[in-house]
Amino acid sequence: MKTYEVFLKRPGKDPFTHVGALEAPDDDLALSFARDCYTRRSEGDQMWVVAREDLLVADPVELEMADRPHRHNDGTLLRDLRQAGSQPAS
Amino acid sequence: MRSWDSMEDFEAFLDDGGLVEPDDDMPDAYREAVFRFIELHANSEYMGGLTERDWIAKAPGLTNKLTALAKTQDEIGHAHLLYMVAADMGVKTRDEMTVDLLAGHTTFHNVFHYRAHSWGDQIAIAYLVDAAALASQQAVFKNCSYGPYKRILRRIIAEEGFHMRNGEELLLKMAKGTAEQHEMMQEGIDRWWWPSVQLFGPDTRPDDVLLRWHIKSERNEVLRDRFVQKMVPQLTAAGFTIPDPDLRQDPDTGRWVSGEIDWDALKAAISGRGPDSARRLNDARLAWDGAAWVRSALDEAAAVPA
Repeated sequence: MKTYEVFLKRPGKDPFTHVGALEAPDDDLALSFARDCYTRRSEGDQMWVVAREDLLVADPVELEMADRPHRHNDGTLLRDLRQAGSQPAS
Repeated sequence: MRSWDSMEDFEAFLDDGGLVEPDDDMPDAYREAVFRFIELHANSEYMGGLTERDWIAKAPGLTNKLTALAKTQDEIGHAHLLYMVAADMGVKTRDEMTVDLLAGHTTFHNVFHYRAHSWGDQIAIAYLVDAAALASQQAVFKNCSYGPYKRILRRIIAEEGFHMRNGEELLLKMAKGTAEQHEMMQEGIDRWWWPSVQLFGPDTRPDDVLLRWHIKSERNEVLRDRFVQKMVPQLTAAGFTIPDPDLRQDPDTGRWVSGEIDWDALKAAISGRGPDSARRLNDARLAWDGAAWVRSALDEAAAVPA
């Protein structure tokens, strides 16, 4: 048996979302089991089923480190500038 | 891999609303406690699904049979989802969980250790047991610190909502039915009231790790009390009585206060000494053995190269 991950996209603008996993002996049955387990009430109009062994998984610590402060602007400086008004420094 | 230097750091992470994911280096005690809880939930969905299945043939009329069919698929589906989430914690495989369940080494909820005698019982289960189970699950979902469990609970709760609505529909139909139907429904309530109240468990102990680690968000006694406050007026309004001679309404607060709860009955049921425990487990073993050919066909399919 292989483990598969299931992704669903609801009708409309939502992106694909991971909904869960399942076990199946092959790809055809994985699709069939995924329909039985995850879409009995039209939860999605599109579904991806991916063998877990084929997923490339990033390290959450590295993901966190990819973030850098200079890529953000929290608006603090702008707020201070606005409050100071437009008078030139004397 | 995310890890925490100490239990204090880990608990601070949880208190801060952090979600634990399967690849995290979580403390062993947390892994063990959460796994046991999810395994119990999975076992209960599975045993509940088998019970529901018994009523596909017996439910009166096509509509009720279809509903029983849909509910059976839902419950077995929930077991599938939960066993996957549990297996991914790396404590036991799915097979090991099944073997332990069928051998009576692990537990499932008390309500699946009793026999559903009549259609009235089946409605009482759909109404009382599903409502109690849903209330417990909602309380877990609310603040659940284990990511995969929280996400799968969202779906389970949505589906249990259908069941509870169906239970209330059927209850109200019986309430407006013939005297015989009314009596059958009352008998169902009489048999299932206490097991449903007991489902919430005894008062939560102060050192309960499930509460501290944000698996449960409410104390058992709070959920149980809320259930009683909701159910007593509904059942009374529908013309039924509650099988609790000591049930009284506090004159000051207007709140319903239950009589003494028999916790020995809960312990007996959960430990496999309930009125229907042996038959239920035997049924589950027969179902498992009966489907052996499906599993071997699947294994053979898996062995054939594509």
